[in-house]
Amino acid sequence: MKKLIITAAFVVFGLISCKEGFLTVVPETNLSSATFFKKEADFQQAVNAAYVPLRNIVNDRAWLLGEMHSDNTYYSRNILFGATEQQEDIADFAVPTANGVTSNTHVLNQYRLDYQIIARANQILTLIDDVDFAADSKNNLKGQASFLRAFAYFELVRYFGKVPLHLEPVTVRQEAALPLASVDEVYAQIIQDATFAASNLLPKSKQEAGRATSGAAKTLLANVYVVQKKWAEAETLLKDVVNSGEYALMPDYNDAFSTTTGNKNNKESVFEVQFQEGSAGYNGSLIYNFLPRPMSPEELKPISGTSNPQPLTGEGNNTPTPDVIAAYESGDLRKDASVGYVTLSGSLRSNKVYPYIKKFAKTHSLHGNTGNNWPVYRYSEVLLFLAEAQMEQSKLGEAAASLNQVRSRAGLANTTASSQADLRNQIYQDRRSELAFENKRWFDLVRTGKAIETITAYGARIKANPLDYYYPEGALPRSNAFSNITELYALPADEGALSPNF
Amino acid sequence: MNFKFTIRRNKYYLAGVFLSLVLFCSSFAFSQVKGRVSDQSGEGLAGVSVAIKGTSKGTQSDANGNYSLEATNGSVITYSFVGYEAKDVTYNGQKEINVTLGVDDNLLNEVVVVGYGSQLKKNVTGAVQTVGAKEIKDLPVSQIGQKLQGQLAGVQINQTTGKPGQGMNIRIRGQLSVSAGSDPLYVIDGFPITGNIGSMNPDEIEEITVLKDASSTSLYGSRAANGVVLITTKKGKTGSNVSFNVFTGIQQVPDRGLVKMLTAEEFAQFKKEYYTDAGQPVPAEFQNPSQYANQNNDWYGALLRKAPLQSYNLSLSNNTGKSRTSVVAGVFNQQGVVINNEYKRYSLRINNEYDVSNKVKIGFNVAPQYVFDNTPRTDGDRGTGILFNALHTWPVMPIYDSNGDLTLFNRFPASTGNIFAYPNWVRAANELVNETTTTNLISNAYIQYQPIKGLTLKSTFNVEMLRSKFFFFNPSTATSAINVAIPTTAVSIRQNVESLAWLNENLATYTRSFNDHNFELLAGFSNQKFTEESTRIQADTYSDDRLPTVQGAININRGGTNTGVQEWALTSVLSRLTYNYKGKYLFTAAVRRDGSSRFGSDNRWGTFPSFSAGWVISDESFLKDIQKISFAKLRASYGVIGNNNIGNYTSYALVNNTVNAVFGNTVAPGAIVSSLANTNLGWETTKQFDIGLDLGMYNDRITFVYDYYTKNTTNLLYSVQIAQESGFSNFNDNIGEIKFWGHEFALNTKNTTGRFKWSTNANISFNRNKVIALADGIDRVYGLFHITKVGYPFGQFYGHIAQGVYLNEADLNSSPQVPGRSTVGSIKLTDQNGDGIITNGGNEDDRVIMGNPFPTFTYGITNSFSFGKWDASIIGSGSQGNQLLVRHLYSTANLDGVFNMVEGVKYRFRSVDNPGLGMYGTTVGGGNVTGIERDWMNSRFVADASFFTIKNVTVGYTIPKISKVFKSARVYTSIQQLYVFTKYWGGPNPETSAQRDGNGDGGNLSPGVDLSNYPVPRTFTIGANLNF
Repeated sequence: MKKLIITAAFVVFGLISCKEGFLTVVPETNLSSATFFKKEADFQQAVNAAYVPLRNIVNDRAWLLGEMHSDNTYYSRNILFGATEQQEDIADFAVPTANGVTSNTHVLNQYRLDYQIIARANQILTLIDDVDFAADSKNNLKGQASFLRAFAYFELVRYFGKVPLHLEPVTVRQEAALPLASVDEVYAQIIQDATFAASNLLPKSKQEAGRATSGAAKTLLANVYVVQKKWAEAETLLKDVVNSGEYALMPDYNDAFSTTTGNKNNKESVFEVQFQEGSAGYNGSLIYNFLPRPMSPEELKPISGTSNPQPLTGEGNNTPTPDVIAAYESGDLRKDASVGYVTLSGSLRSNKVYPYIKKFAKTHSLHGNTGNNWPVYRYSEVLLFLAEAQMEQSKLGEAAASLNQVRSRAGLANTTASSQADLRNQIYQDRRSELAFENKRWFDLVRTGKAIETITAYGARIKANPLDYYYPEGALPRSNAFSNITELYALPADEGALSPNF
Repeated sequence: MNFKFTIRRNKYYLAGVFLSLVLFCSSFAFSQVKGRVSDQSGEGLAGVSVAIKGTSKGTQSDANGNYSLEATNGSVITYSFVGYEAKDVTYNGQKEINVTLGVDDNLLNEVVVVGYGSQLKKNVTGAVQTVGAKEIKDLPVSQIGQKLQGQLAGVQINQTTGKPGQGMNIRIRGQLSVSAGSDPLYVIDGFPITGNIGSMNPDEIEEITVLKDASSTSLYGSRAANGVVLITTKKGKTGSNVSFNVFTGIQQVPDRGLVKMLTAEEFAQFKKEYYTDAGQPVPAEFQNPSQYANQNNDWYGALLRKAPLQSYNLSLSNNTGKSRTSVVAGVFNQQGVVINNEYKRYSLRINNEYDVSNKVKIGFNVAPQYVFDNTPRTDGDRGTGILFNALHTWPVMPIYDSNGDLTLFNRFPASTGNIFAYPNWVRAANELVNETTTTNLISNAYIQYQPIKGLTLKSTFNVEMLRSKFFFFNPSTATSAINVAIPTTAVSIRQNVESLAWLNENLATYTRSFNDHNFELLAGFSNQKFTEESTRIQADTYSDDRLPTVQGAININRGGTNTGVQEWALTSVLSRLTYNYKGKYLFTAAVRRDGSSRFGSDNRWGTFPSFSAGWVISDESFLKDIQKISFAKLRASYGVIGNNNIGNYTSYALVNNTVNAVFGNTVAPGAIVSSLANTNLGWETTKQFDIGLDLGMYNDRITFVYDYYTKNTTNLLYSVQIAQESGFSNFNDNIGEIKFWGHEFALNTKNTTGRFKWSTNANISFNRNKVIALADGIDRVYGLFHITKVGYPFGQFYGHIAQGVYLNEADLNSSPQVPGRSTVGSIKLTDQNGDGIITNGGNEDDRVIMGNPFPTFTYGITNSFSFGKWDASIIGSGSQGNQLLVRHLYSTANLDGVFNMVEGVKYRFRSVDNPGLGMYGTTVGGGNVTGIERDWMNSRFVADASFFTIKNVTVGYTIPKISKVFKSARVYTSIQQLYVFTKYWGGPNPETSAQRDGNGDGGNLSPGVDLSNYPVPRTFTIGANLNF
């Protein structure tokens, strides 16, 4: 019997340690989705995170796809440096395209970043109505998510045309890829989301600075209508913005842009992407992406103002072209505010003077680390959109009045254009000068139907005079330059490989 | 017979049923017998099992070999002891029975440690191989893995880096996975440990058994698929023994295999030609290359040194009959051959066993250990690997300035094409602190009880504790990364990790024989839990390098500062039935059921069964008469085993709440769903079939083992890439299938006996694998320079086939080109898809499989000699048919002259009249042209890495009994890593492979990448074994 007791004790000893739940080990340093999205604060955090990809988009991608992919900027060729073809292909309208897809990494990353915003917005918009909290707050959060989703789809539809339309969060592998939606379907969704945002968001004076506002949503929606040439709808919205009293032009064009720590979300700002200088990771490095190279620390220091400048090697990008510099009317104060010059002693060119984008080059303290915000919509563009919408409806007087507000701030006389065609050209001209290097040029060329013609001529100029476009003596544009001038980017090949739909 | 206990879960029914089957009692009348057991020299043997045959009655001899026992007339007393021939004596009322046991040299009577028990070697039906400590005792190395190189069939062991205490890559039967770990399970004295064995003192080890097939591993269930390595530590043996083992030596990196780079003069000449060929003015620095003739800076060589190592081990073995003790205390101290590298280990192991009564036995093992390691950041690429970086540094850049001080960093003017700042790597080695101190403790405690004849109950409790402290400090004066100017931002990292694993295991074993039917039934259950907590603090921007405290930093780096918890739990039941008839027909069935916290909530439990059978043909009458064949056994096994190295929380959808936004000047907390949940996520399943033959010939002077195996691994843990339009990049799933198969041969021969003894152990293994399926709709996954594609072996090198360069205009025009980039003299690649042009990227480009990181076969051969008091051994191991990807060529063959270059670029294409050797193309045209051969992986990067290494040569001399104190002594000298025979040209170590997680260099999908790791030194040692 004793043996049995010992044996039984032996067995029981083992069983004791096997409690219920022994095998349930939840991650202790992460929240899991099962416990998240339960309260208002969760949705606030989710909305905040939905803004985050914008930093990447404007710092690393949008200027490549929207500005250097136009006649406004080009790269400053450094033949000593390789692995630059991804950027060069974009500037040279030589993005390799086969079977409707491209391997270009910038195109891929832009696409993925936009869908990050969309996926985050979808989580919020799908789950938020299951949780009960104050309607004011909820509408504001839904408005922001809708604005961001509209913004991302608007980028996608203009870059790519037909794209997958995700409106619900993905939960299993099989739902990851959706068929391409038509351009009309995507625009219908953008309009629906932007309209919702316009009516649910707070005006700028009541919203926390830097978040999407009703004015920003209306401007975005108006921009959509401008692209669709729905001029009357655009005009209504833009007038709402103008008459809201929330916005004004900064008296000095230079002050329209934030510095690394100040002048952010100023009176002229309708929507801007928020950065913060410092080591916490919320910074940008915009001007470093935009400076010609190689640049010594001594040459950099007057521009960056940093105490620890490092040499900039590699190949510079987004260098203003002679075309955009020549496009400024004489006396235009925006020219000196927008374009600066720097002499690069290490350049292989005999002419070592390079223009650079000055409007964002604000001094800061840490090398490679800037805090200035990126303007997405400024009030001056609201006025220019309004002028264009009025002009297209033959309201030439009103259009000129809207335009002249912008010209006057630039130190220019009122427009003398008297015909609709002349006024149209003048508005286009002022858009280019006013919004230079703000990633508007390529979209403007496409929506006005001038892209192919303008870029073909521009490519011919580069090939004829490479020295004017910052090539060193003896270096020539690559043989594939300007071989693929199209209005849309091909969809990214890496995504095509993961989707049965393209 | 009617005891009760609650069956909490179905899974325990096996234990319950089994226990209720086996309980019964019986009794007889006895009288007392005593005596002494001794060996052939007359010394008493302690710990000899003295048992009445066919009963559970038995005892053990004491320290002097004495025993006493109750026996009945006519009963047979069996005297048995490991390593000696057992003896049976019939009891006829003698008062005293003294026996002498002879040494057992019949290998097949050896007892082999197997999972959850031990077996006679001749009865084993699985594929297992054992290496005794004696066979590898003289190797002057710190790690077990190094000692096992070349010893085991079917086990590939590569030393991927020469870093002391690190880098042994052990793969059993070629097992691999897309993303789960592939290291074998290490079991020390029955305890599956959670760490690795790299820091274990090899002198603590008695024997290592490698379990290879599913029948031998399936009792380890969801952790068995990578194979199991059982380590048995030393137990108290006969009598009392004290021994002291010492060796000391000097290590040096051989010249053979070091990469030949351009000298300063050659580099300047290259630069001069570069500018000349491009029609550009030559910078002043390079106009006169001969000025550097006596100013070469060998940055790589400057990091190396000759370095000493020492090892001391003091051991005690004591057996008093009732208690057995073994103590091993060790000190190991190795300076690395890279400057400022130091590795020290202090270890202790105490193993105790005590017989409370003849039915109850308890045991305690305690093994604490302390390891200190300061290793400069030697291994890695441009960010961290100073050896890799040293190869890249312009040799015209001075290591020392004119005052004889180490330079801070070097940068030539931009006009010379110098893009990157080159910090001084000697400073990086000397001034960066990269220290890890690890304290760990492994302990086992058990109680064993034999309630009735044949039944043993054993309950064990095991604990493994680890505490490691990592301290890294990068002062402002040095750095390990290229392109950092000095002074740089000083950075400190502190990481403390504490872990605790415990295991409780309860086993019942019942043995019974009747009428030539022999059974053993094992059943048990266990619970194991692992918890690890870590704290990491990263701070930077120090005002003074002398005070690298956290508070001395101006900035705490938020991204690098965190706390972490990792936990898992495992609950298991297991059972095994072993049966044989006359020791001739053998059968084993085993099963384990594992519930793991790592598996998804809808897939918590996995079942892992196996079956095996053996047939000792030599016991059959038709073979009995053939004298040449002393033993022959055929065996076969099949089983299902798992790999649960899938991460602790992979099945959960996680929320990352550090994705913060900025609004105005305010940081606002942000959160995203960062991964998708998979509640069905489970283990990787391997189904393995094995068939083997064990053969002994000429009275076992020749023994031969052959195994063929085939296994299919399915449900691979696979982070399936999904379209990122979903907002997610991956979905963790069990998917795909890889097939493995192979042949293993092991041959042991005693070539001569008598005064001159010579024996040879040789083995050769052929391992193959093929990818059968990946995710649905996905037939390939790209690694860094690799492809894993359905229908092909895993992780193949993937790229373009280089065909030399375009020799002239006609050649260029008649050949496929890279549009816009190819020129006369640029690299000529092969148009594989026949579209007339060369493209790189996508599935339909011109890349093909261009090499294989897996060997055709691996082999090892050990020869041992003894002549009188002299002994000698020579150990070799090799690998044939595998290739390595020479990663540094990516930059050391960068024809833009950004880095220093391999010597071969001297023979590049310079003009139609001077086309070079065709390996390297023209420098003219800059990155647009040179980038093709550099950035597009091509066959030029792949090198044959077959090798045969003489791992060790030892010569020893034994001094017999010197005095009463000194029982014996042996002195020896040995050379480790004597010579590597290889054609490999990419670096000094053809065994290397970058060791990284994920899919970067050396990740699962990118095997066989030579990242210029720490070279493996040659070591000359002298040593002595003293026995007291």
